[in-house]
Amino acid sequence: MFFILLKRKLLGVKNVLSGITFWKAAKNSIFLFAGLLLLLSLYFTFYKLLKYLDGVELIGTMLIWKLTSIVFLMSFSMIVISSIIISMTTLYYSFDLKFLFSTPLNSRTLFMDKAADTVLYSSWTLVLALMPYIAALIYVKKLGPAFFFSYLLLLAPFIMMAAAFGLIFSLLVMYLFPSSRTRDITWLMGSLSIALVYVAFRFSKPEKLIRPDTLEIVAQYINYLQSPTVEYLPSWWLTKAMMAFSGGHYVVFLQYAGWLFLACLALYSFLYFLSGRLYPAGFSGAQNTPKFSGGRTQSFENRLLPAYPGLRGFLLVFLKERRNFSRDVRYWSQIILIIALIFVYLFSIKNLPLDTAEMKSFVSFLNIGIVGFVLSAICLRFIFPSLSLEGNTFWLLKSSPLSMESVFNSKLVFYSAPLTAMGFLLISFSNYLLSADLFISSVSIFTIIVMSFVMSAMGMGFGGAFPDFKVENIHQIESSYGGFVFMASAMGYVALTIGIFAWPVQMHFMSRFNSAYPFEWRWFYFCVAVFLALSFFAALVPWKIGLKNMEKYEI
Amino acid sequence: MIQIQNLTKKFGNFTAVDDLNLQVESGELFGFLGPNGAGKTTTVKIISGIMSPTSGGVYVDGVSVARDPVLAKSRIAYIPDEPFVYPHLTGWEFLRLMGDLYSVDVDAQLKEIPALIETFELKEVADELLQSYSHGMKQKLLIASVLLRKPRVILFDEPTVGLDPKSIKKFKDLIAEQTRKGVSVFMCTHILDMAEKLCNRVGIIYRGKLAACGTTEEIKKHAGLDGNLEDIFLKITADE
Repeated sequence: MFFILLKRKLLGVKNVLSGITFWKAAKNSIFLFAGLLLLLSLYFTFYKLLKYLDGVELIGTMLIWKLTSIVFLMSFSMIVISSIIISMTTLYYSFDLKFLFSTPLNSRTLFMDKAADTVLYSSWTLVLALMPYIAALIYVKKLGPAFFFSYLLLLAPFIMMAAAFGLIFSLLVMYLFPSSRTRDITWLMGSLSIALVYVAFRFSKPEKLIRPDTLEIVAQYINYLQSPTVEYLPSWWLTKAMMAFSGGHYVVFLQYAGWLFLACLALYSFLYFLSGRLYPAGFSGAQNTPKFSGGRTQSFENRLLPAYPGLRGFLLVFLKERRNFSRDVRYWSQIILIIALIFVYLFSIKNLPLDTAEMKSFVSFLNIGIVGFVLSAICLRFIFPSLSLEGNTFWLLKSSPLSMESVFNSKLVFYSAPLTAMGFLLISFSNYLLSADLFISSVSIFTIIVMSFVMSAMGMGFGGAFPDFKVENIHQIESSYGGFVFMASAMGYVALTIGIFAWPVQMHFMSRFNSAYPFEWRWFYFCVAVFLALSFFAALVPWKIGLKNMEKYEI
Repeated sequence: MIQIQNLTKKFGNFTAVDDLNLQVESGELFGFLGPNGAGKTTTVKIISGIMSPTSGGVYVDGVSVARDPVLAKSRIAYIPDEPFVYPHLTGWEFLRLMGDLYSVDVDAQLKEIPALIETFELKEVADELLQSYSHGMKQKLLIASVLLRKPRVILFDEPTVGLDPKSIKKFKDLIAEQTRKGVSVFMCTHILDMAEKLCNRVGIIYRGKLAACGTTEEIKKHAGLDGNLEDIFLKITADE
């Protein structure tokens, strides 16, 4: 029966592949190319790092394997957390579950089918991200293709075991607390865990590993410990197996490989047994919706309506958006991750090894690009998908006596105001931490405020130009072709902005170093005018295209 | 009043609606029948303004849906076959939103919404999120919102799917009341018995073309058949 279920997935994949048109193939090729570039850049980064570590006398190899064990441990932890989040959907809320549960299928078989989905969805990105690391390791340590194939062989039980922990957690928690609220809380806790792992990793200052002045401490630390990195976890068994294979100790390799396979088999046997008892009860409970008691008080938008009847559409879409945002747990988990990102970002800025005041001011200027990137990533997550997330309720807006322009305006104000505030706070804090001078601070704050608004408009515009009302989650929208085009355009806009202001910033530093080069305000104003013109068109063109597309969009 | 003039809708080479001409008077309940894929939903979507025609036009009380969509939509209440509503709003909030969108006076809303909630037996769940509503409850909520909006034209696409028998009876009474008030009702349905008993006139669309239109008696006479609407429908839509 499991293989019949597997066959339906393969048929689906086959049909999708056979239905690829030239245009789709071209779009996918662009994606593939961008992905390969990313993997290539990761490879070069890992190569540089491993090459450097390998060159350290006496402890080079030790450092490399220590780092490898940390990488495996991090990957294992991330897969466990991902599988907790993903299994809540795959096991209890997949679109086909009601149908599958109505068929004469054993619930254990059904569970294993959904477990396979969970393993795949929770691990594929990490498996891909590990590839450049392993490739760099093979190149630096001159290990042959046999090493790579042995790694691939052991990767299967490794990721399956990591995902199994998430599956066990979901099975137990949904059995003990059977409600859709459990899923929401698990999502939040999952996001919080990812955020904490991310913050903890960054706050541990991993850059110390590659700084010569602290290497002595690292060596002492490793010598002092002389112990494995979490001995009883599969990540350490994988590290030991790979270490043994690289050293030609094949018996040790087989011993650890055996551990991995046996533990994996035992874990899935246990899951198979457990699922028969817990899965049907958990699925049944997941259908329960928690009680929510909303008040009937007048919102401020309702109170404003009589005074501003012309803003009817704007105010009502704003109200709907506000209520939706505050009640949809998916947004909360995104916000937790963003807060973690901001903490890490400010921490990194604070710890930049910059000595001179000029260097600090110069980095403050370049920081416009980093903040711009952060803002565009937030736009991609919140503003770009805001139209697509109307989903199958879009008919309500489309059939209402509302102009699409008022829908766009309302969403723009709703999202751009907090984005601008966030951009302002980020750049102001960064400037403060870097002790940027008045000129650089003023330029960067002005630029980021304009940029926040422009990117919000771009997000709405591209969101309207590439809508997809059939998606099930935000990630599908972000990783779509439209999301890619939006990010590329937003980054292009950021790069052009940096380019435009590079000239007045250069004049500023020149005039500080040498009075023979006076700062010419007219050229500065000219650059500001060029920037404003660029911003105007960067916002207007996608906005108009998106608006026009949504006006004629047919459901 | 709804006027449909030379309406055509094509999807690539496929013609979903082919040169449709139709008029639904004020106070008339018009039943729009046809087999699956005949063009019923496409027609109703075009009237509601959520889909554009390839050629031809639709007028609601003399207002062109294509030229002045906002004004036309303010006179229309449309309920699709699938009652998708905002899952994170409560029933009460949804009705308030619809009332505000259609410029219903706030005092009138605060007076009428509790009555509608009572009528459609949604009192127990009115303050709960719509994600917890069943299909039938969402359908009832949408019908309640239609009555709140006081439209000139009501468009229904399979309105009784998911409703319990008591709600269907209530629905029929309310529709009859609306037509008495002069509202034009355009209803797509597969329930031929209901169409025969309730509608003033029916139209049968087949492969995008209006195959028959008139009262049940007129259609019978035209088709040269005795029997009920089901027999006539099966005869008209039988493959040649």
